[in-house]
Parts: sequence; C-alpha cells; structure tokens
Amino acid sequence: MNFLAIGTEIAIALLMLIVLAADLLLPKDVSHRRIGVISMVGLAVILVYTFGQYHIGASPTFFGGLFFVDNYALFFKQLFIIGMLFTILFSLEYTEKLLRYRGEFYVLLLSALLGMCVMASANDFITTFVGLELMTVSFYILVGARMTSEDSSEAAVKYLIVGAASTAVMLYGMSLVYGAAGSLVFSEVCRNIHLFYAAGLAGVIMVIIGFFFKLSVIPFHMWAPDVYQGAPTPVTALLAMGSKAAGIAVFMRILYTAFPILGNFWLPLLAGFAALCMIGGNIMAIRQTDIKRMLAYSSIAQAGYMMVGMAAADLAGMKAVLFYAMLYVFANLGAFAVLTVIDTERGGTSRRDITGLAQAAPLLAAVMTISLLSMAGIPPTAGFAGKLYLFTAVVERGYLWLAFVGFVMSMISVYYYLMVAKAMYRDLTPEEAEYAAPVYVPLTVRAAVLVSVFATLGLGICPEWLASLTNAAVQTFMR
Amino acid sequence: MQVIIFRKGIFMGDFGGLGIFFAIALIFPVMALIPAFLLQPRQPTKEKGIPYECGVDTVGKTYVQYRIGYFLYALIFVVFDIETVFLYPWAVRFGQLGLFALLEMFVFVGILAMGLWYAWKKGALSWK
Repeated sequence: MNFLAIGTEIAIALLMLIVLAADLLLPKDVSHRRIGVISMVGLAVILVYTFGQYHIGASPTFFGGLFFVDNYALFFKQLFIIGMLFTILFSLEYTEKLLRYRGEFYVLLLSALLGMCVMASANDFITTFVGLELMTVSFYILVGARMTSEDSSEAAVKYLIVGAASTAVMLYGMSLVYGAAGSLVFSEVCRNIHLFYAAGLAGVIMVIIGFFFKLSVIPFHMWAPDVYQGAPTPVTALLAMGSKAAGIAVFMRILYTAFPILGNFWLPLLAGFAALCMIGGNIMAIRQTDIKRMLAYSSIAQAGYMMVGMAAADLAGMKAVLFYAMLYVFANLGAFAVLTVIDTERGGTSRRDITGLAQAAPLLAAVMTISLLSMAGIPPTAGFAGKLYLFTAVVERGYLWLAFVGFVMSMISVYYYLMVAKAMYRDLTPEEAEYAAPVYVPLTVRAAVLVSVFATLGLGICPEWLASLTNAAVQTFMR
Repeated sequence: MQVIIFRKGIFMGDFGGLGIFFAIALIFPVMALIPAFLLQPRQPTKEKGIPYECGVDTVGKTYVQYRIGYFLYALIFVVFDIETVFLYPWAVRFGQLGLFALLEMFVFVGILAMGLWYAWKKGALSWK
C-alpha cells in the first residue's frame, strides 16, 4: 500500500493529536494562542507538502482505488488547508476571548479539515460518507462552541437535526444505488446500466437531494441562515467556504464519474436549481440587517453560481467551478476576518456594529468592500474573472437563459453588498459617533486580510496563474 | 411446500425468505399478547399499579434527572468497547498478519489511549 498517497490525511490526523496533547499539557489559565500557532505551522508545512503531490500521469490510489489522490483532489485539499490556515490566523483573538473550550476548538477544526480532505479524495460512496460525517459532526460541535449564547446552541441543534435528516436521505439513496448497480465504487456504478430502473433512479435523486441539503440549495436551505448567524464567526467562515467547497468537490466527482450516463436527467435539474439559488439567495439577502445572515443568503447564491458551472458539464465548466471556489475562499477570508474583529470588539455583526468602520479601522473597511465586490463580480477583483469563466462555459453549452439569470442577479447582488459599504463609509450622526468605539486590529488579522486582498486583486488582474492550476486539476476527467 | 417457497428465484427473489422471517417476527408477539389480553383475569390493586422497579417500592417521583456522569462513563466505556471489537479479530489472525499489523494496532490503541487521557484529564472520570 502506498502510504504517501494519504500523507496529507495522516499528517492532519497527527497534527490533531499533537494539538490535543498540547492542550492537555498546557496549564488551564494560560493563553491558548500558542496552540493555534502550532496548528498553523503544521498546516503550512502540510500545504507545502501538497504542492509536491501534483503529478502528470497516473494518480496514486489507496485502499484498492477507493481513495484517489488526483490533481483535482489535491486542488481542493489545498483550498481547504488555505481556508483553515487563515481562519485560524484571524480568529486567534476571538477564540481567546469568547470561547470556553479553546484547545478543543482547534482540534475540532482540524478534524473537520480531515473530513473535507477525505471527501475530496473519495472514490466510492462509503469513503464519501465517512469524510462527510467526519466533517459535519465536527461542525455540529463547532457551531455550538459559544457556550453562553442561546443563538449558538439553537444553531447547533438545528444543524444537527437537519444534518442528520439529510444524511439519512443520502445514505438511503446510496443503498438504493448499491442495490441497482451492485457496487459503491464510482466507476463501477457508472458502468452499470441498471441505474435506469426505478430503484436506481430513486437512489440517484436521493443522493442529489442529500447534497442539495448540504450545499443549502433552495428549497433545502432553511437551516443555513440560522446556523450561519448563530455559529461563532470563524466557524461561519468555514461553513461558507470549506464545507460548501467540500460538498461541491465530491458532488461534482459523483455526478461526472458515477452518474454521467444519466446526464440528460440531472443536467436540467442542476440548471433549474442553480437559477433558483441565484434568484432566491440574492433577493432574500437584500432585506437582511445582520451581515452574517446576509452572507448566508449570499453564500446560497454563490452555490448557485458554482452550480451554473457544473451544469455546463464540460472541462471549461469544471475549471470555472474550481477557479470560482478558490476565489470565493479568498473573498470569504477577507469578509469574515473583518466580521470576526467586529464581533470580538463590539459583540455583534449587525449593520449597526459596522457603521463608521471606515473611521475606526480604515484597513478593515477597505478589505470588507473589496471582498464583497469580489463576491458581486466587479472588475478588477477575482470575482469578475470567475463569473466570466462560469458564464462563458455555460453559454457555450447552450444555456443562454441561465447565464442571463446569473448576470441580472449579480447586478442585484451589488445593491446589498454596497449597502454594507455605505454603512461603513457614510458620515456618522453625533449619537452614532459616540457609540462607534475605536477597533483594535491585531497584527494576525492584518496579515490575514492583506493576504486575502492581494489574492483577490491579484487573481482578478492575472487569473492565468490560478487558471493553469485548475487546468492541471481537471486532467483526471479528460478520459 | 416449504422447500419451494424458500428455494431461490421460484416464488420470490433473494430476499423473499427474509421478508417471511420479518412477517413472522411481526405476527409472533401479537399472537402471544392478544390471547393473554383476552384471557387474563383483571383484579387491579394499588400495589400492582405502581411502576416496576426491580421489586423495590418506588421512592419519590418516577421522572428524575439522571446525572450526566452516568452518560460520560458510558461514553468512555465505548472507547474500550471499540478497542475490544477490533482487537479480537486482530488477535485471531495475528500470526499471519505480521509486523505491519502489530504497528497498526499500536497506532490504533495509541489514538484510543489519547482519548482516554483527554477524558481523564478533563475530569470525566471523577464523580463530582
């Protein structure tokens, strides 16, 4: 067995144990920041290691092909690790101040990361399921990590119940697919024509619905706003970028390698739900006053954009999805780093809390604006390049109407993104000026937001860098 | 008759036998309970009506909160449970599996021990 193939996963598991041991050995009343630093250093080393795993030619496998380490999986693993690394970086202060179980917080973050990495590499339904559960169970606990907050507990319970229900649906679907196809390995399922029978089709639909729940696709999105709002801000960031990207990674692999023969059936379905997501997410986001809740609805719309690329169902579409997922991570890092600071300093993330941020912390206000503009797709941010790739891919496949919906909805989204910018930059009334306390921005947060802004603008100006990486990533599917 | 029903692929598919078994499993308890319900003499007394607590008289209310400690102990017990479940098959085949499996088992037990250490250190084993 080729243990190097699962080197990333072993390293993350090891790091998790080291962090757990460090937490146990550290006296109780000491700052836990050093535990965060240990996990960041570990993640940085692992990130560098994953670059060495890119390859041309046959991809290494493990467990007799159940675990597949191709460039596609590597790309997503790097995305998760980058997201996790910078989330820990900007939330050191938050964790120290607001959370009771600080050591466990880092351990659970790493276990969620491990789950995501397993999902990205999964090449059969059981491995997918194990990775998915490892990730979601960690998130159930992380969402409820603010022990004193009722919102946080409510969010955790809600997430647990909805998550368990969707898992049950997906697992039942998988069992039906197994019954119809006689195998759980994606390539074997693909070869089996029996999927066209009723039970197989029902299984496929249930698997797809399960993923729609996890990706909070409208109409399966009811849990997302409450959970995003109640969760600790760094966890919300990870739910929006990590959990969603992991879902998309494995969903795309399943659709293209296990169910390609049913393409005529799921392509219109995907296009329809993508349109529903873009329209619903953007329109419902307009009325939100809490920024976290607004970003929850916006993330529903973003999932819709990525599904547009999936509906294109060709290499160009896949590349666009990968590109978009990565730039979405950087945009999210910027926005949530700012929100985390606001949450730590002012104890909330409503629009009132960010009023006048341009005077209190000009850097944060600028970063927030750039990140939100990237989500809206305004040049010269990376969001523009990402949407250009997505919509070009889908128009070439003949879904002109879908691209049109995307354009219109992107324009609508600019409105509510700019409402946030307006709140930050407008002049304050005298009583507001009294309320607007200065905001302390730690050095770690500065570093995190600068990286996110450079990445967002850099990828907007020179998208070729990332595009060449996505080219390498989709090679697996060029068979 | 029986032979024909249970022979594969004549009356039913592979899982037909299982279906019959399931049906019998459903019918059997009902068949046992209904005659008892119809035939039993009913002479209720106060003594008979109280909740059954292993033959001891109930003290206080029946709905009481259990200490969380019980559940923590149960969870920690699961650690050892899992350990045993995987150690048994490993021990049976230990000779053929060789050095690799030995190291593998050390890794496995090490991770579980880590969990126990965590629980111990966090005070899950002390009865507060």
